[in-house]
Amino acid sequence: MQDTLVEKSGFGGFFSNFGTAVAKGDWSVKLSLLWMGAGYARRKQYVKALIMTALEVGVVLFTIFFAMQYVPKFGTLGTVQAEQVFNMETMKTEWNDYDNSFLILLFSLFSFVIWFAFIAVWMKNVVNVYRLQLQAESGKHINTFVEDLRTYLDEKFHITLLTLPVLGVVVFTAIPILLLVLVAFTNYDQQHMPPTNLFSWVGLSNFITLLGGGDSLTMGFGYAFVRILGWTLVWSLFATLTTYIGGILMSLLLNSKMVKWPKLWRTLFMITIAVPQFVSLLLLRNFFSNTGIVNTICQSIGLTDFLRGIGAISTAYIPFLSAPGWAHVMIILINIWIGVPYQMLIATGVLMNLPGDQLESARIDGANPYQTFRHITMPYMLFVTGPALITDFVKNINNFNVIYLLTEDVYTTTNQVMANAQAKEVDLLVTWLFRLTQDYYNYKMASVIGIMVFIVCAVFTLVAFNRMTKGDKEGVYQ
Amino acid sequence: MKLKKILALVLALAMTLALVACGGGDKPAENSGDQPNSGAAAPEAGGTASGETISLTLWGGEEDQTMLAERVEAFKAAYPDQTFDIKIGVESESTAKDTVLTDIEAAADVFAFADDQLADLVDAGALLSIDSMDQPLQAYAGKSVADIKAANVPVSVEAATYNGTMYAFPATADNGYFLYYDSTRITPEQAASWDTLLDAAQAAGSKVGMTLASGWYLASFFYGAGFTTGRNEDGTTTMDWNGTSPSGVTGVQVVQAMQKIAAHPAFLAVTDGDSSNQIAAGNVCAIVSGTWDSISCSDAFGEGYAAAKLPAYMAGDKEVQTGSVAGCKLIGVNAYAENSGWAVLLAEFLTNEESQTVRFEQREAGPSNINAQSSDAVAGNVAQAALGQQSAYAVIQKAGGKYWDPSKSFGEQIAQGSIASDDASVQKALDELVAGVTAPLG
Repeated sequence: MQDTLVEKSGFGGFFSNFGTAVAKGDWSVKLSLLWMGAGYARRKQYVKALIMTALEVGVVLFTIFFAMQYVPKFGTLGTVQAEQVFNMETMKTEWNDYDNSFLILLFSLFSFVIWFAFIAVWMKNVVNVYRLQLQAESGKHINTFVEDLRTYLDEKFHITLLTLPVLGVVVFTAIPILLLVLVAFTNYDQQHMPPTNLFSWVGLSNFITLLGGGDSLTMGFGYAFVRILGWTLVWSLFATLTTYIGGILMSLLLNSKMVKWPKLWRTLFMITIAVPQFVSLLLLRNFFSNTGIVNTICQSIGLTDFLRGIGAISTAYIPFLSAPGWAHVMIILINIWIGVPYQMLIATGVLMNLPGDQLESARIDGANPYQTFRHITMPYMLFVTGPALITDFVKNINNFNVIYLLTEDVYTTTNQVMANAQAKEVDLLVTWLFRLTQDYYNYKMASVIGIMVFIVCAVFTLVAFNRMTKGDKEGVYQ
Repeated sequence: MKLKKILALVLALAMTLALVACGGGDKPAENSGDQPNSGAAAPEAGGTASGETISLTLWGGEEDQTMLAERVEAFKAAYPDQTFDIKIGVESESTAKDTVLTDIEAAADVFAFADDQLADLVDAGALLSIDSMDQPLQAYAGKSVADIKAANVPVSVEAATYNGTMYAFPATADNGYFLYYDSTRITPEQAASWDTLLDAAQAAGSKVGMTLASGWYLASFFYGAGFTTGRNEDGTTTMDWNGTSPSGVTGVQVVQAMQKIAAHPAFLAVTDGDSSNQIAAGNVCAIVSGTWDSISCSDAFGEGYAAAKLPAYMAGDKEVQTGSVAGCKLIGVNAYAENSGWAVLLAEFLTNEESQTVRFEQREAGPSNINAQSSDAVAGNVAQAALGQQSAYAVIQKAGGKYWDPSKSFGEQIAQGSIASDDASVQKALDELVAGVTAPLG
């Protein structure tokens, strides 16, 4: 059948379909390049023609009245500084027509997204109109508008379903992320804050600052970045592994027949989940602070003096959460207490589905509990919870709560270079980023760090998932 | 089948709504809604604004809300010819800068803040110059900017001034620190010097508390010896602490004196913001803090409740009176306020003599107005009297954004004793501090 359009899929296919349509289409298809409703009008699909025309007019109006205010300034991000005059008559301040760099950046980006979507629709439109032409030429039935609508409840139902979520993702996820990426290439910080001041493009200089281009004592960003990245990875690894293994051991223990009242114990552990993390972490922070209750106890039983005697500490208190090393270990320990119950829940669920026949045959073959655990339970657990483990690792890279709530206001760095970069030894990339924006309005560096966090998470996830799905793991554990 | 589809559709909708809900950020307090836009003239052109409703928003501390509401009513009564719609929102003076700078155009027209935020607010263009509003002040309030400057103590006017321009009205002059002590355990003579104070506290089995890990408290030792900090126009900081002060004291001697104090068994390094807890827990018999702790101190010390200027310390063989940072609370006007003229008049009204007197009566906030300050009630207040004694040694702290973290870290190093006390190590630590603080912004 030479008269049907052989539609190709994929990105290349999309463009080749468009090319075919433009080349082989009749005058109405070619006119659709200018007036998007032309092809439909010719095939008497007037409602569709109207909708496409309205869309086209809408985008043109949007371009003239909205986008043109911002996009032409995208290259400079604005040049007109705000100026004010007080008008005694009205008792009001009057402003000149000043530029706001941030709005220029945001609305230009928004315009680009709209245009990009519009071009895709415009090309798709030509392809659709060409398909109509082929249908008309071969004398096939051409759908009325109502029939078309009905397809969106039938064979094209997936499109109906996905439209809103996709829109949501674009507006609330894609645009902010693109904005973050753009800000990383500007000098948007406290000295360049709209609306009063303008900011502009600075190329890669923020990335150079972060990756060690600056003088170490006065800038310190490169110095701090390497250390914080290191701790972030160490933390994620330990936080994930300790809670994972702890959760499995705990649930095995509670499942064991030797434990009395397992339900009581399980409920007790659940309480740490029931109490909001916010509350329990702040309480723990106060318990372990320099003058907190734990220090008071250690003082009165003589532990503090003993540690001071052997030279482990130099202060009059044990710096549980206020010295590097001590704080790092304490944070991981406290996280075990917070995280194990969650893993225990998951592990209990998985263990209940452990194939009983294998355990049975293992027991008949005379395997001891350790061998059963090593060769049956653990491989099964890993097979089922592997993807969750990766997600946990990535979540821990961005585990803001535990770190921030445990160390904010308690931990003060004694490393001048770290302090110069507004960082602390116990910071994760994400808490550092938070303080840079919240306390120092250093949006440019925060954006660069945000991109780094994204790269770390993306690379790790891709590599780990690839490795996991490569081998036939089911075969391995069977 | 059909039911399934409908269910799926509802779920998709719900998901979108959830996304929308997550995306919507929440703004603090209410705001005026309409923002001034590019000089697009007033809605009702010409004539004085009478007849038109003047809407203003005001942010103040949570504990000041009742007092502010009362004063706003008084303001309306003072200008009966105008119709006002004044909304009061809650925003602590200590965090006003963060909220205002998040979105200046959406922030309140009039807001209260602590004076250490002034420079950052002015650099971001968030504050209207009061000097430029002389005309409306004379026309409606009947006083000039010069009159207002003369009515308040010079130090508070200095705190409201940046690069020679006044940007806010002084509201209080009590945001400084001094020494609280329990006179049943420590005599006033002992409280006059750090050495005797610490020894007395040790003898009484208690401690003397002070925050070291904070650029605000740490500087007191240096300011007392004549050292300075400053802020350049580009937001960087100047600092001379690694040299010798005009009074002949070296920075090394100051640090060594601090190390000696911090190493004393009766010294307690208090975490910033934790002083009330330490007082209430009965851990201290003397503490360096400000008027905000007057109630906890009088509760904890009972009959022995007393306050005085900060004790002196020995730098080398010289006795140095510990200095301090003089702090004020200010009320400023948003540079992007639409009804800026009336906003200035409201800010002025909230800080005039009568308002400051009410502020002291209801909130025990020490006035900056000279007449209000000289009232008997203020003079008889223990904390205010101590603040008055200390004010002779207090300076306005000028510092840029790079000052705070390095100086906080430096204070923590002294508190933990992690700097060796020989001259060379101390000099090296000071040099590093100064390099970090004076670094260019990046």
